[in-house]
Amino acid sequence: MKQLFKFGVILGVICLTATLVLAVTYQVTRPKIEGELSQEEQNALKVIFPAADSFTRKTMGEMEYFEALKNNTAAGYCLKITANGYNGFISVMAGIDPSGVITGVSILSHQETPGLGAKINEIKPGENDQWFLRQFKGKRAGKLEVKKDIDAVTGATISSAAVTTAINNAVNAFFKEVKNKK
Amino acid sequence: MKLMGEFVKGLWRENPTFRIVLGLCPTLAVSTSVGNGFGMGIAATFVLLGSNIFVSMVRNIVPEKVRIPCYIVIIATFVTIADLFMRAYAPLLSRSLGMFVPLIVVNCIVLGRAEAFSSKEPPFRSMLDALGMGLGFTWALVLISSIREALGNGTLFGNSLHSGFQPPLFMILAPGALLTIGVLIGILNYFTKKMGK
Repeated sequence: MKQLFKFGVILGVICLTATLVLAVTYQVTRPKIEGELSQEEQNALKVIFPAADSFTRKTMGEMEYFEALKNNTAAGYCLKITANGYNGFISVMAGIDPSGVITGVSILSHQETPGLGAKINEIKPGENDQWFLRQFKGKRAGKLEVKKDIDAVTGATISSAAVTTAINNAVNAFFKEVKNKK
Repeated sequence: MKLMGEFVKGLWRENPTFRIVLGLCPTLAVSTSVGNGFGMGIAATFVLLGSNIFVSMVRNIVPEKVRIPCYIVIIATFVTIADLFMRAYAPLLSRSLGMFVPLIVVNCIVLGRAEAFSSKEPPFRSMLDALGMGLGFTWALVLISSIREALGNGTLFGNSLHSGFQPPLFMILAPGALLTIGVLIGILNYFTKKMGK
């Protein structure tokens, strides 16, 4: 019994020290991590909606999106989308104009297979944007189909379809929500 | 000289990947590009260093029966520190390693060194042991990942090699990792044997 108590105290002291150290590390790194994330978001926004000069974060129902502003009037929307990829979630951002035509797509993070699914985010040598994502530009979201409207990445139909479907669904849901609000 | 030996043994004679063959799970998973391999190696070295020194410092207070939970808490603390710092200061690397940074907790090299070495040896020697093992793991990862990246993706450090052949995909998938490691261990064993004679 006495031994049990001793074990508990020792383990407790070690855990307490570990917690303290981690709490400090978390506090120290948190602003930098958050800054890094929002920087990424801002960069992605500029890529998917180059025409806008500023963005404001908005929420509607459970959806979080950015309103793209040009000369202080809304020129379109940027949606944060989560797709169910082959290896987990793919975090996508898509810009659309008010009629639902895509202005650009960007992938924030993904865990797809290197060499296969990861090529959804591949920039070919000598080019400066992703060939797979470029295909979405100028097309109307909502009913896009892989192999018909969008060429899939070779050997990665699931990843390609996941991005396409997620964009369709998100844009449809967004406009439905907008309609409901009116 | 003996102190030096604690450092050097991890690099070659007791190399964690090629001789002891520990920590293969992260090795298989992250050796798809040199950048990933190197980043993983450095992160694991940091964790090894921290956990080895601390396990060694508390080795006389921690009772035999609860030593494993104590070691795991110490290791997990250093892994989380490494993870948070990578996210803050190397976000690209952190994103491409993804889940495998937190998974250093279960890397058998780390717990293996705690159990086999630092729980019996003083902190300074444990530190040398950790450095040797960590750097041994790092060079092994860099070697494996450069072979896999060059053959499987046609790039090295992310630069195209312009090799003009269609890279065989399986080299950056799981079979490529097993083949590369197997062949490398074979070659290394062959030369070690020859040199021994």
